[in-house]
Amino acid sequence: MKKYLKYILPIFIPFFILLLPATSFGIDGLTLVEQRVIAIFVMAALCWVLEPIPIYATSVLIIVLELLIISDKGLWFTKVDSPELGHLISHKVIMGTFSSPIIMLFLGGFFLAMAATKYRLDVNLARVLLKPFGQNPKYVMLGLMMITAVFSMFMSNTATTAMMLSILTPVLALFSRADLGKIAFALSVPVAANIGGIGTPIGTPPNAVALKYLVDENAISFGQWMLFAVPFVVLMLFIAWLLLTQLFPATIKKIDLDIKGQFLKTPKAITVYVTFIITILLWLMGDFHGMNAYVVALIPVAVFSMFNIISKEDLKKISWDVLWLVSGGIALGVALDKSGLAKNAIDAIPFAGLHPLLLIVGASLLCLLMANFMSHTATANLLLPLVAALGASMQGLLPYGGDVILILAVTFAASLGMSLPISTPPNALAYASGHIETKQMAKVGMVLGLIGLLICYAMLYLLNKISFF
Amino acid sequence: MEKINIICVDDEREVLDSVVRDLDYFSDLFNIEECESAIECLNLLEELDANQEHVAVLISDHVMPEKSGVELLTEVELDPRFMGTKKLLLTGLATQADTIKAINNAKIDNFLEKVWDPEELLQTVKELLTEYIVERGIDYQPYIEKLDAQTLYRLIR
Repeated sequence: MKKYLKYILPIFIPFFILLLPATSFGIDGLTLVEQRVIAIFVMAALCWVLEPIPIYATSVLIIVLELLIISDKGLWFTKVDSPELGHLISHKVIMGTFSSPIIMLFLGGFFLAMAATKYRLDVNLARVLLKPFGQNPKYVMLGLMMITAVFSMFMSNTATTAMMLSILTPVLALFSRADLGKIAFALSVPVAANIGGIGTPIGTPPNAVALKYLVDENAISFGQWMLFAVPFVVLMLFIAWLLLTQLFPATIKKIDLDIKGQFLKTPKAITVYVTFIITILLWLMGDFHGMNAYVVALIPVAVFSMFNIISKEDLKKISWDVLWLVSGGIALGVALDKSGLAKNAIDAIPFAGLHPLLLIVGASLLCLLMANFMSHTATANLLLPLVAALGASMQGLLPYGGDVILILAVTFAASLGMSLPISTPPNALAYASGHIETKQMAKVGMVLGLIGLLICYAMLYLLNKISFF
Repeated sequence: MEKINIICVDDEREVLDSVVRDLDYFSDLFNIEECESAIECLNLLEELDANQEHVAVLISDHVMPEKSGVELLTEVELDPRFMGTKKLLLTGLATQADTIKAINNAKIDNFLEKVWDPEELLQTVKELLTEYIVERGIDYQPYIEKLDAQTLYRLIR
């Protein structure tokens, strides 16, 4: 029975919600459409937490269910006109979430990452950048973490981790059995990848989800994001490095990471290097040329397609699951917003009495907790639309910087969930190396998660003080 | 979760038992099948294919009555339904001519000599299994604890 619960709950609870009378939710003037949005939201939450189906499938299901029961072109009986019906959402808007600018930004990021891997820019950069760190295990680890973090700002955290671990594992085999340094090294890579993802809007999907709610007067450009996120990453990396070298000191005196190969000098490879640099520069200089990050992201897509750098076969390897996972989150936000539910529900719940700082701390702690047990993106998909709605309605939040602060705290918290092998794919990969025990990962992950939140609060406080946003 | 099989073929019961015992490590996530002849193996392959199950690794002895291991592996190599299946020849009695055929025609992925080292067999199967799973685009996450980490890092980056 318990085994089937994960299939039964996501089907029956949403159905039950649909069948309840509208008055039972305690929200004044709840429309039928809004009630259906609640049901879809609950279904999404249950599916993402219990995972009866793959997490990206839940996203697709959200979009299709929205089209079927709350869109203007849905099933006939869902559109019967009545005073209680409420606002049906345009089907074009719902379908549009598949190709929202945020998805295009990620697509551009994928193209850059794929080209960098295909033309071995990543491995070659790693080789050159690791050189100055010498052979002292302590500093090699620092170098490894910094490079991992920088790469994961532009590539997926998982791919970065796999690449760095493939460089690292042959070296770990040389450590003696009792050398704790092995644990430090094996943990340093996923930790740096998870932290590094915070650095840019395209570093990790939760950042992209956050961008959906950082619009209009709250908009944050690519460069602005990096201006505060990169220092955060640097500080966190340094703390993680100190923690790892203290907890698991290496006894081995010298290590030598051997990375073979040389920079490719073919015209295609040079096109990749140049496009990579130009795209990043354009992203950073958004104010000068008038193009926003979304528009810039499509430039590498065009260039790499034109010169067959990303071929027809390569196109098939794009992680559509990640793009769809994010689309589903955006669609959930659209439904909450456009149906009027977000506004309606917030009005009904007496949040005025709640201290805004309590809300920031509470929401980010909840996010950190959830992100340790489930997908970071799914966590962001569920929590960000809620906190965005809450933040927008809460006047008390303004002295602390408004809803931007709340959204960023929750977004950062989503990336800091890394205390279990199941927390993130990078953690699972590192755990598979066989050098780490769950207990050790949990210790490091929990300490870094909590320190990360504290630093995040301090950073947001300072940003608010200097009126950064 | 996909059903993934590892098939062991040997006409000597004791040898077969000992191979299966050495591969017991995989038995909680993968299905380990035993066949006492090449013909039995071909029938099993038909059955597994009909159920849309994966044949990830095929470990075969060479010298067997009716049909030899190299003949069996060659047949599997040429069958498009088992594209990507990893083939391991486990034998002490292959002549040079047999070995040449095994490489050129059956395109075997690995060759181990009898008597084998259980550790080496386990490690080889781990690597072959990892390659099969990643190359066939099966989600590796449910199986990750039984896979070879280094091979996985190399293939998914």
